[in-house]
Amino acid sequence: MATINVTAGSQAILTLGANAALATPGATDGLTIPFLQDLTISAAPGTVRYSTLDSSSSSAFTTVNENSVSCNMLVDDAVMFGDSTHTVNSVKTNGLFETSKAKTEINFSVSFEGTGDTGDTYWSGSGFIGGLAPTASIDQAVWISPMEIIVNGELTKTDE
Amino acid sequence: MAVRDTIITGLTANLASSSVSVSSELPFNSAGEPLYVKNKKYVYVDEDNKDVTELYSTLDGNSIDTTETTVQAFLTVDAKNELSDIDTIVDTIIAERNQVSGPHTKECEVSTEIETDYITYQFDYRFVTT
Repeated sequence: MATINVTAGSQAILTLGANAALATPGATDGLTIPFLQDLTISAAPGTVRYSTLDSSSSSAFTTVNENSVSCNMLVDDAVMFGDSTHTVNSVKTNGLFETSKAKTEINFSVSFEGTGDTGDTYWSGSGFIGGLAPTASIDQAVWISPMEIIVNGELTKTDE
Repeated sequence: MAVRDTIITGLTANLASSSVSVSSELPFNSAGEPLYVKNKKYVYVDEDNKDVTELYSTLDGNSIDTTETTVQAFLTVDAKNELSDIDTIVDTIIAERNQVSGPHTKECEVSTEIETDYITYQFDYRFVTT
């Protein structure tokens, strides 16, 4: 039992790809999102609450899971606007903005413990990029943007 | 080019027709007295002081830093018989901060101190670059 310390700079990695293989953590042509300030994975089951006459507390049943990945990042121009010289991974070629605008479904992985070691765990899935809202001001000095991946389906846990 | 050099170059040109001159020496103490007190009507500019702090830290360890550079300048003149163009001189020294290219924040604070029969103007420049 141990906490996962992310201060080393090599944990908590978000990788995007046009297919599941390209989105694997550490994949050669995967699009690893740099300059992440924070990263949140939400795996929330939907619930419906109801009340009955024989109970003073409400009851609940679950519906479908609503999964998403959200983050805040400093904007990297190649990641936001794409790298036209790259040909393998279309998410990397087109960048976040074009992929979001085209509503292209992408694959992603979130590595909890980095990559390359046996037992490293990551969650993966597919979904759509949304929530891009770059902002800049003289005080913050660089462009900052939130991003959300609206997950289409389940999150899958994998151990390396 | 250090900020100090830029300021000295600019002040030398812009104060050429004023009642004061600009020294390229550092404001060190000579015989227990700062040079700007010893040599009145000379502007002395101290060395750059830099403070680098982390503006943003990221999960991949690529931090974005911000650099604050502070420079002090000193001018001592007669307090009994003030220079007729002292206001222009002070304004010129303050405005010199705008000649430094690069920083997004350029500030200058002026304070004065009167001792016996002379007054010392201290200019605290502050530049912030990210």
